[in-house]
Amino acid sequence: MTRTTAVEPRLNDALVIELAACLSADRVHTDHLERALYGRDASLMRGDAGVVCFPRTTAEVQAAVRVALRHGRAIVPRGSGTGLAGGAVPVQQPVLIVTTKMVDVEVDLANRVAWVQPGVINLDLTRQLRPLGFHFAPDPSSQQSCSLGGNVANNSGGPHCLAYGVTSAHIVAIEVVLPDGELAMLGGLGADPDGYDLRGAFVGSEGCLGIATRIAVRLTPNPPAVNTLLADFVEPAHAAAAVSAIIAAGVVPAAIEMMDQRITQAVEAFVGAGYPTDAGAILLVEVDGLPSGVAAETAIIEQVCREQGARSVRIAADEAERMLLWKGRKTAFGAVARVKPNYYLHDTVVPRTKLLDVLQQVYAIAERHELIVMNVFHAGDGNLHPLLVFDAAEPGILERVHAAGEQIVRASLEAGGVLSGEHGIGLEKQSFMAWQFTQPDLDAQARLRDAFDPHARFNPGKVLPAGSRCGDLAHLDAQHRDRLLADGVWV
Amino acid sequence: MKLPLVEQDLASCVSCGLCLPHCPTFRVTGEERYSPRGRIEAIRQVHIGNEPADASFIDMMDSCVQCRGCETACPSAVPFGRLMEAARQGLAEHTRYQPWYRRVGYRTLSHHRLVLVGSRLIALAQRLHLVPSRRLGLPDRLPLRATALRAVLAPAGAPRVWLHTGCVMDAWQRDVHSAALAVLRVMGVAVSLPKRTRAAGCCGALANHGGLVGIAREQAAATMRSFPGEDIVLVDSAGCGAQLKDVGHLLDTDDARRFSARVMDIHEWLAEHLDRLPPAPGPRPAHSVAVQDPCHLRHVQRAHLPVRRVLAPYLNLVELDDDGLCCGAGGAYSLLQPELAGQIRNRKLEAISHCGAAMVASANPGCSMHLAAAGLVVRHPVQLLAEALGLLDG
Ligand SMILES: Cc1cc2nc3c(=O)[nH]c(=O)nc-3n(C[C@H](O)[C@H](O)[C@H](O)COP(=O)(O)OP(=O)(O)OC[C@H]3O[C@@H](n4cnc5c(N)ncnc54)[C@H](O)[C@@H]3O)c2cc1C
Ligand code: SF4
Ligand code: SF4
Repeated sequence: MTRTTAVEPRLNDALVIELAACLSADRVHTDHLERALYGRDASLMRGDAGVVCFPRTTAEVQAAVRVALRHGRAIVPRGSGTGLAGGAVPVQQPVLIVTTKMVDVEVDLANRVAWVQPGVINLDLTRQLRPLGFHFAPDPSSQQSCSLGGNVANNSGGPHCLAYGVTSAHIVAIEVVLPDGELAMLGGLGADPDGYDLRGAFVGSEGCLGIATRIAVRLTPNPPAVNTLLADFVEPAHAAAAVSAIIAAGVVPAAIEMMDQRITQAVEAFVGAGYPTDAGAILLVEVDGLPSGVAAETAIIEQVCREQGARSVRIAADEAERMLLWKGRKTAFGAVARVKPNYYLHDTVVPRTKLLDVLQQVYAIAERHELIVMNVFHAGDGNLHPLLVFDAAEPGILERVHAAGEQIVRASLEAGGVLSGEHGIGLEKQSFMAWQFTQPDLDAQARLRDAFDPHARFNPGKVLPAGSRCGDLAHLDAQHRDRLLADGVWV
Repeated sequence: MKLPLVEQDLASCVSCGLCLPHCPTFRVTGEERYSPRGRIEAIRQVHIGNEPADASFIDMMDSCVQCRGCETACPSAVPFGRLMEAARQGLAEHTRYQPWYRRVGYRTLSHHRLVLVGSRLIALAQRLHLVPSRRLGLPDRLPLRATALRAVLAPAGAPRVWLHTGCVMDAWQRDVHSAALAVLRVMGVAVSLPKRTRAAGCCGALANHGGLVGIAREQAAATMRSFPGEDIVLVDSAGCGAQLKDVGHLLDTDDARRFSARVMDIHEWLAEHLDRLPPAPGPRPAHSVAVQDPCHLRHVQRAHLPVRRVLAPYLNLVELDDDGLCCGAGGAYSLLQPELAGQIRNRKLEAISHCGAAMVASANPGCSMHLAAAGLVVRHPVQLLAEALGLLDG
């Protein structure tokens, strides 16, 4: 493990003084211990946050970006720090711009949008919209904590994105502070704003193209009726077959989630939702819409599950039971710590038809590396989340975990899948980029980035591996990953 | 600095951040240093990473309300309360974190006469407008005199219980105990009151939260001894109840564990004996009552639902839409961290004003004082029950 040796920022540094003048002294922090707290997100990576800033307004973000630029410092945006790919982990002792104090919401019912500041928590927004009859559709499992700025940056998905689409489908316009400190409005409230769809380019840009300071999110009407079903299978294979059969039957549920036995057991210990802990796999399926349609689809799904060998199908009797069933799914990542203190995961997406095949390979890979793997995932769209759980204190285990992780990624890509469904590439998965994209693809992405941020000040060292640009000959190989990690970062 | 903690507890935090919105201090600041995940990381940095336990670290620890909302929210079952107590114990043992006057203050709570006399002096000073009560978070008018409590007799064969009367609560809110006794009397229950031996009375919760484990142990042991026998010990203060249920862990003896197993929050017990409660004599009041869950009832004892079961037959209850977020009272917290406590309370006031209730039911003296100081009408659920049963007239 190495730790950065760069100079400690001090309160009387010009950088800090200027930042404090733009914000206020109490919202610019350099305390050593506090910087350590901001050194990590929900991934396993770590860095050193140089200076931590908490702006409240767009103007303050702009001013902070300009100060950082003047001093040649990198800038890393951060929301709630629930990212799983190290996207908000500071590299190069940056000016860390934390959005958690930017939490204003303005609802514009006439245009069916809400303008939100980036620090607004996803679930808070949905709750605020509830009395108006609307919600924000993307519901990552981290929804109670993650910020909308983070959702935009990672183009996050969630169980209900199967029917409703991921974040990009719900973002109408974004006000962005660009890497040169200028303000731009990407997209707009009109049906089809003129010019290139830069809004689309920004969603999913993982903090590399600028900072979103105001976001116009689409309001989705709350469905009049909802049903949640829990189907219990002895064999994971039967559960996977049921997923395909449901969709083949012409039903597109709002969500289809699958959990294997290990994760079901871990979660049940936390929520006590009555999940069958002896099941090989369970499916959580939700349908919504008009009451008559919901009733009909519920009947079809129940029948299909039984035909595919479900031991039982439980339908949530009321809202409280429904919330409890979902709580289990949504806290699954956290609950794994009941088994081992650390986890590492990928979120590759594979074609639904290959789901079972890849799942079996995942179990085999884990077994080969003597690791415990737990599977909980968005089965409806083939987005896997194989959680490798381990105790980092065990010598040599990290190597095994990474090796297994790589093989899982390879197996997914070979099955025709993609690298990340929703968590982003960040710091953690960039070395795999070359496995999915050809050199011209990577080069095109690098050029887009350069167009926004020619001096590579924004979230440097993230997403695109060194060597993405044509003419940059560094050869990418997983064994060299450690060298590619920016200074001051350890895994 | 090595802190007296279990390293496995530290390792169980996976840094997922799911606890963040359930932490009152994170909610009002948005800062990681005032969040459970941040505090755990800070403890880790000090305990394992050799960071100094400096003023910044102390601030991170001190600003924690110890509401343990993060514990019920944490899917990894991180025992945050234990970690925070260990951090404060380490600070109290190795630094000047707890100055002498606070140590003396906590010890005074064991001397019930002193507590009563002190309380009357403050009450007198209030009448003479010598103390800024609201700013100090004190009730507007502390009682000058309080009617003596009397044990309740019942025929042989009736259920027998103890009622824990405590230290500050007995001085400031004895009418809650009176209401509890009145309710238990109509239920035909025999109630004994603890003998005031030396050092008995204070359960030790305040000292324990301050990291003064030695004082807390003495106080808990003395209180435990004032409840001999096997009868259930009922507690009508959520904070004291949480502490008394934890005496087994604190003292780590078989006696203490047996004692802790006898402790029940009064609402838990009432909810198990609903059949003994008579119907309301009059019509159901039209106004609604908001149930505010004290953290030590909801997050620590996890016994907040019985309050509803007990009151629902008599009153229109409404729920607050804030996931049981802390109100900021936190024992002595509102005195020691007035600024954060005030901001946290503002959120609670907002939630209460949304729900449209005329009054608030709160089962903990600290919370009710903290909320009353902001101008709300706050009653203990047992008082509301006694009133609904027509027991408080005259
Ligand atoms: C338990 C758990 C469950 C999860 N479940 C899901 C899931 O179901 N689906 C899913 O998609 N993800 C999931 N995630 C991952 C994560 O929660 C999401 O990626 C989330 O959107 C990150 O939001 P955040 O506010 O925490 O962002 P952070 O972690 O703070 O940042 C993430 C990235 O966004 C950038 N960023 C943050 N704010 C801005 C801004 N204003 N402008 C520009 N860039 C910005 C950062 O630089 C970083 O690259 C889960 C995570 C956890 C811990
Ligand atoms: S305390 Fe629990 S909920 Fe909070 S970050 Fe740690 S593991 Fe997650
Ligand atoms: S005990 Fe309460 S104040 Fe302290 S970290 Fe947990 S949630 Fe926050």
